[in-house]
Amino acid sequence: MEKKEQTQEPVRRPPGRGLYERVNIPVSRLNVIILVLCVLLVICMFFGISHRGFQVTFDTRGGTVVEAQTRMYGERVETPAEPTREGYVFSGWYQDENESIPWNLEEDTVVNSMTLYAGWTEDKE
Amino acid sequence: MDKEKLKKVGNFLLNNAMFIIILCAVIYIAIEVPAFIKLPSIVNIISLTAAKLPIALGIAGCIVLTGTDISAGRVVGLTACISASLLTTTFKVFPNMTSAPSIALVILIVLVVGAVVGLVNGFSVAKFKLHPFIVTLSTQLIVYGCILMYLKNGTNNGQTLSGLTDGYRNLVAGTLFKIGDTAVPMYVLYAVILTAIMWVIWNKTTFGKNMFAVGSNEEAANVSGVNVTRTIIMVFVLAGIMYAITGFIDGARIASANANTGLNYECDAIAACVIGGVSFVGGIGKISGIVIGVLLLQIIFAGLNFLSVDANMLYIIKGLIILIACAIDMRKYLVRK
Repeated sequence: MEKKEQTQEPVRRPPGRGLYERVNIPVSRLNVIILVLCVLLVICMFFGISHRGFQVTFDTRGGTVVEAQTRMYGERVETPAEPTREGYVFSGWYQDENESIPWNLEEDTVVNSMTLYAGWTEDKE
Repeated sequence: MDKEKLKKVGNFLLNNAMFIIILCAVIYIAIEVPAFIKLPSIVNIISLTAAKLPIALGIAGCIVLTGTDISAGRVVGLTACISASLLTTTFKVFPNMTSAPSIALVILIVLVVGAVVGLVNGFSVAKFKLHPFIVTLSTQLIVYGCILMYLKNGTNNGQTLSGLTDGYRNLVAGTLFKIGDTAVPMYVLYAVILTAIMWVIWNKTTFGKNMFAVGSNEEAANVSGVNVTRTIIMVFVLAGIMYAITGFIDGARIASANANTGLNYECDAIAACVIGGVSFVGGIGKISGIVIGVLLLQIIFAGLNFLSVDANMLYIIKGLIILIACAIDMRKYLVRK
């Protein structure tokens, strides 16, 4: 009988709190988990820092392939070779596929990995 | 004696592990790229913090209730799209419109939209006792669908909205004042005002006290006469309004809006709250903590961005930061218990 009461003991405790209601882990083990996670975070940061550089890719949308570039923060994109596409005239690089936000190769600087889209106008000749 | 001291130091180090790592990272970044601690970069970090602060302040209320809100980012997206589609010079979404409506009206519209989503979230959580995770997951998807359909309207065909009116741009991203050559944008002021308002709501109003009471123990709060249902609904509605303000600011801040605006904002906001000591235990959290949390997160991400760390890696780092913050939060709870 006594044993039975003991096993029921935890059930009678006031309801636990929030998302940690069912957490039942010794602090010492949690300490190890925190340490491991911190080490992982530092490793990830180092990995990120040692593989520096933003990828600038060019989507020519049917035109000839343009090679991707790796640029650092604040650098300008090196003027890529102008792509060609049959029946169309290249009209510049854009930040979106809809050709609404142009990318100024002379002024705009890279602040993240990104894709530039080729703008095309139909060749009427 | 020495052992006790060692234990205390160990406790301190573990409880502040996140801050120590971030501090070390910042020092490293500052040495590697000195421009990081120059004025333009600092102003940039403050501006980014100001932009992300309202959403974090909103989501914090949900976390205080031991819940969460993962619809936040999409609400920001929807309200940004609504603002950008109305306060524009091109009117692609509403081709029949000829002039932009008044800014006050647009603010009112986005606030109502945010509040309605918050109401749906809050009502389902409070009345049907559904877990906020599931409720907000569904509203997240619904809102995303709404954004996509909204952007298909008129002649827009799902494209990015841009060409915003000068009035809208200036109101949000105009210059508040200049330090040297670096302009501080207006929305920094709005973030300060919102923070002050939220501080008053949290600390000086009955609603705020009820929120903490419900968060720490719903049943006890109910017994002591707190209207739990109303409190939960109001917290979610208030959160929705904060997302709407974030969306309104974000439209003009980025100068465009599309279906991806606001994507993953809730992750940043939740991470900032947990780092800032808003506990998943419920009923614990301070406005000052949230501000520090958002600021720290922006500092570390701006820093890693300065080092040209790829965005893909930043996601992993962000995830780890949330995990660590949660583990530390849990540890504090276990030690107290």
